[in-house]
Amino acid sequence: MLPEQHDILFSFLTIVFTVFSVIVFINVVQQCKARKDASKAWPVIFGAFILANALFTRHMFTLVQQDQMSFFKWQALTVFVLLLTWGMFFKSENIEKQSPTMIRGMFFWMMVSLPLAGYANWLPQQRSDPPPKAAAITGEMTMEQYTEMGRVIVFGAQQVAGQKAIGKGQCPLCHTFDPGDNMGRCPNLFGVEERSHNRVKEDRYKNQPIKVGETDPASGVKKGATSGEEYLRESLQCPSCYVVEGFGGAGDTKSPMPVIVKPPISLDPVELNAVIAWLQSKETPGDFAKVTVPLPSASDAAAQPKKEAASEGEKPVFVTGSEPVDQMINTLGCPLCHTIPGVEGAVGELGPKLFEKVNAPKRIKDPRYKGKATNTKEYIRESILTPGVYIVKNDETGELYPDGVMPQDFKNKLSIEALDKLVDFISQTEPPPAG
Amino acid sequence: MLGKKARSLAAFPLGVMLAFAFYMLPGVVGMAHAKQVFAESAFAEEAFAKEAGAEEQKAAEEGPKVEWSNDVFYKDWEGNPLKGIVSGAPAPELTDTDYNHYDFAPSRIVIWISNQQHLYMGSFVLAVPIFVMVIEFIGIRCKERDPILSRKYDKLAHDLMKVSMSAYSWTAILGGILLFTFITLFPGFFKYLASVFRPVMHVYALMFLAESGILYVYYYGWDKMEHDPFLKWIHCSLSVLLNLVGTVLMYLANSWATFMQAPGGIDEKGRFLGNIWHVIHSTLWNPVGVHRILGNIVFGGGIVGAYAAYHFLNAETKEEKAHYDWVGYVAMFIAVAGLIPLPFAGYWLMKEVYAFRQQMGITLMGGIMAWLFIIQAVMVGLLFFGANSYLHNSMSRVKGSHRYMKYVKYMILLLILSFTMWMTPHTIVMTPAELKEMGGAQHPVVGVFGVMSAKNTAVNLMITCTVLCFLLYQRANKKITVPWATVGNCWLSAIFVWAAANIVYLGVYGYWLPANQRVGLSVPQVSSTLTTLFVGTAINSSMFKDADSYGEIEWGNQSKVGAYAMFLLAVAFTWMMGLMGYIRSSVRLFWHVTEVVRDNSPDAYTLTIGEAGKILTFNALFVWVQFIILFWIGGLSGKKAKAHDEVPEAVPVPAQQQQ
Repeated sequence: MLPEQHDILFSFLTIVFTVFSVIVFINVVQQCKARKDASKAWPVIFGAFILANALFTRHMFTLVQQDQMSFFKWQALTVFVLLLTWGMFFKSENIEKQSPTMIRGMFFWMMVSLPLAGYANWLPQQRSDPPPKAAAITGEMTMEQYTEMGRVIVFGAQQVAGQKAIGKGQCPLCHTFDPGDNMGRCPNLFGVEERSHNRVKEDRYKNQPIKVGETDPASGVKKGATSGEEYLRESLQCPSCYVVEGFGGAGDTKSPMPVIVKPPISLDPVELNAVIAWLQSKETPGDFAKVTVPLPSASDAAAQPKKEAASEGEKPVFVTGSEPVDQMINTLGCPLCHTIPGVEGAVGELGPKLFEKVNAPKRIKDPRYKGKATNTKEYIRESILTPGVYIVKNDETGELYPDGVMPQDFKNKLSIEALDKLVDFISQTEPPPAG
Repeated sequence: MLGKKARSLAAFPLGVMLAFAFYMLPGVVGMAHAKQVFAESAFAEEAFAKEAGAEEQKAAEEGPKVEWSNDVFYKDWEGNPLKGIVSGAPAPELTDTDYNHYDFAPSRIVIWISNQQHLYMGSFVLAVPIFVMVIEFIGIRCKERDPILSRKYDKLAHDLMKVSMSAYSWTAILGGILLFTFITLFPGFFKYLASVFRPVMHVYALMFLAESGILYVYYYGWDKMEHDPFLKWIHCSLSVLLNLVGTVLMYLANSWATFMQAPGGIDEKGRFLGNIWHVIHSTLWNPVGVHRILGNIVFGGGIVGAYAAYHFLNAETKEEKAHYDWVGYVAMFIAVAGLIPLPFAGYWLMKEVYAFRQQMGITLMGGIMAWLFIIQAVMVGLLFFGANSYLHNSMSRVKGSHRYMKYVKYMILLLILSFTMWMTPHTIVMTPAELKEMGGAQHPVVGVFGVMSAKNTAVNLMITCTVLCFLLYQRANKKITVPWATVGNCWLSAIFVWAAANIVYLGVYGYWLPANQRVGLSVPQVSSTLTTLFVGTAINSSMFKDADSYGEIEWGNQSKVGAYAMFLLAVAFTWMMGLMGYIRSSVRLFWHVTEVVRDNSPDAYTLTIGEAGKILTFNALFVWVQFIILFWIGGLSGKKAKAHDEVPEAVPVPAQQQQ
């Protein structure tokens, strides 16, 4: 569901609860007719429950899913009180016989099904967006950026606790990259740069499973790498041109690996080179001497389909904390809304100015503040991760800044290091000296 | 007189001949005329064929117009992609205009709900005729031996068909809703799918017609064909035919889903290669079909069990209680019979998925879908929990079970502990701050139970406990008389104690081993569990020779908790069916047809587990609302008939005499 839409499950439940209150009301009215001593106040009380639930249901349909989830607890509480009142009506005697079996069954089914939905929400959440049709290249790149692009193709930009992140290339599904790590599906790629040069000289490479000069029928690639770079490219474009011993089917003649330039992965030449560049440089961080692939030129960028520009927005944002703080802030888009001293071009007006060294202590003491922070850094951390906890007042207009404008998903875009670095920096921001 | 008579006798054949000649004349003339017309027509056709042949020859000389292309899946005998003549348009590159949506929900959620509701109902209406066929057959076979029981089986089969009849039309309505949802929200994709599957869709509609016809004859002819033994066999044969047509229907519909997941019969551009059988019979078609048949039986058993539990709780007389207690038991028996081979069909399906694309299999088992299998594991735990609970509570209807009831509380305790360990996740959702505070993704204490060693131990203990529970249920009303009873009991105890100790020891030992070696421990753990099942059951059953009975099973004496255990099993089946269906379908990720038709809609993303869990819960609850309505509708005619029957009798009729 999109954030601006209703939550189907909670919308369903609110209707069920209202229907339930109607059924209880009918039951009570019938009982009152049968019992001569029953007070006439009971139907009124249970009628009030119908009214309350109907109003809750009506209100639920004016809310979007996030708000529905937080509001739903009040209706659940009302139904709980309704059940207690119903028990009081029967003086706790023979209650089970009073409700139709289908109602008890439905409650039981809900008691089983709802915790399952809760359990599903308790587990790590990862939404998988379709990969961009091709990575966006704008302007000139450095080799560092290009290898980083390769790393993102392999691992993706978004990290999830306890999971191996998987990018567009889907490589970590089968390959491992650290020394000694072995999943058993496909070869460990630690040291692959060095191996690539030696492999093309091996007899096994020259003769198995097809000979150099022959064409692989599945990929249509003619085998014949002579350098490390060519070997890596050939392995990606034609996995069955050479199969590492013990990792193939049919006597190590068929590789289980998909052809990377075909669907479903479909890397384009620029992306393919980026992966090769990363493979060649991954064991020498910061040193790109072993990278032999060329940087993508402006003509490569121009040759890409026009749609790629649109896919820029689809590229997930993630900052690791290794970047300079101003780069992090720009990547996250903070300057679009905030004025941030010390960051060039950060003069946004949509959100409050970030003078937190001065403002944060004041806001913690504000009676409107309902958060848990006790110091400046905690306040900033809270404001980044849950921006709605405290809405700052715009001193110029005298009104609150609009709620819900600031993205709620920074927790998915920041590593722990990046968050600490950002908090440290913002906690030191203060207004420029007067004059 | 004679001469006159002779003349008149001679005149008769003459008249006949004349009449025959008169009759034949137009025919002969017509035939002569037809021959002439035929000769002209044949001449014209020959001339046309010559002309056409000449054109074709000319065209062939100019160059072949037929285009050959490689199949995306099928291979020839040398292992090269099979070639076929391009017979269809390429798959479209879908754009925004190929998708429609409503404001209240994303289109993929709407189609998911429509599809799932239809599948749930379809599964039920396909499963019930399978039960009914078996139950009716058993009823016929035991008629001579035990006419009362035979009548009871026949009545049960008839009652089930009654519920199925209302569900059948409901399924058709939901199918219509699904079709309209598909056409209106995904018109571009539907157009492509319809172009490939055009003849299959028509055959499907015709088969639906056949299914309806047979179903109506079968149901409405029940009473008429009941008393004559020959007609009864014909009636039972109709149920076989009904199931055959139903299975074909399901397989045809499956072909659309399996084609989307693992296509065949088309080339890389999505062009149909002329062989419709290749399109239908794609690589996952058979395993999905078998898996669904078994799944339908389990799901149908769960629903009938819940139906029986519902009536059991509602029953006002002992006879009713006894009847529905027995129906629930039969339904559970059928469900479990389907459940046992189900994992093997699942393995086959998964094997074929890996064979099609290894990375699709890894996405399922080790990629983004892997967490959904954790939920499946929890569901399996829930099933064991429900099954044990049902068996425990069923013991109350068995005389002599008091000897074993004292062990039940310990078994429940073991199940609770194991289930808690089983569902403890490896990692949970945390904010970076919480993550930092905890010192890592795993909790220092609880995290210990989130790893494979703990999981394997927990599930093996749960299965062993279920086996023990089953053995106790088996022997509950038996007084063992074999001379080696003590030795047998000692062996049984030793096997279970050894198995439990071995499972726990290997589980703990696993913590000290690296991951790749730890995986190997699951084999001896499972072997211990299977030993209890096979050896334990064999010893237990051998001990029943010449055993005395504590008494007959007292149907209707099951506790209410047992009825709720059946509800639990039914909900668990429903939820799990939705979950596994979602996993199978969503592994296509951002493809309508894997690697051929890309999903370019705004809904091409794969949902988070939490979001999917909420829709699964909604689907499960929503379909049960519908089932309740159907049960209610099915019960309306029953109530009327019952009221009519009861007026003259005025006294309850014993179960054995109920007709």
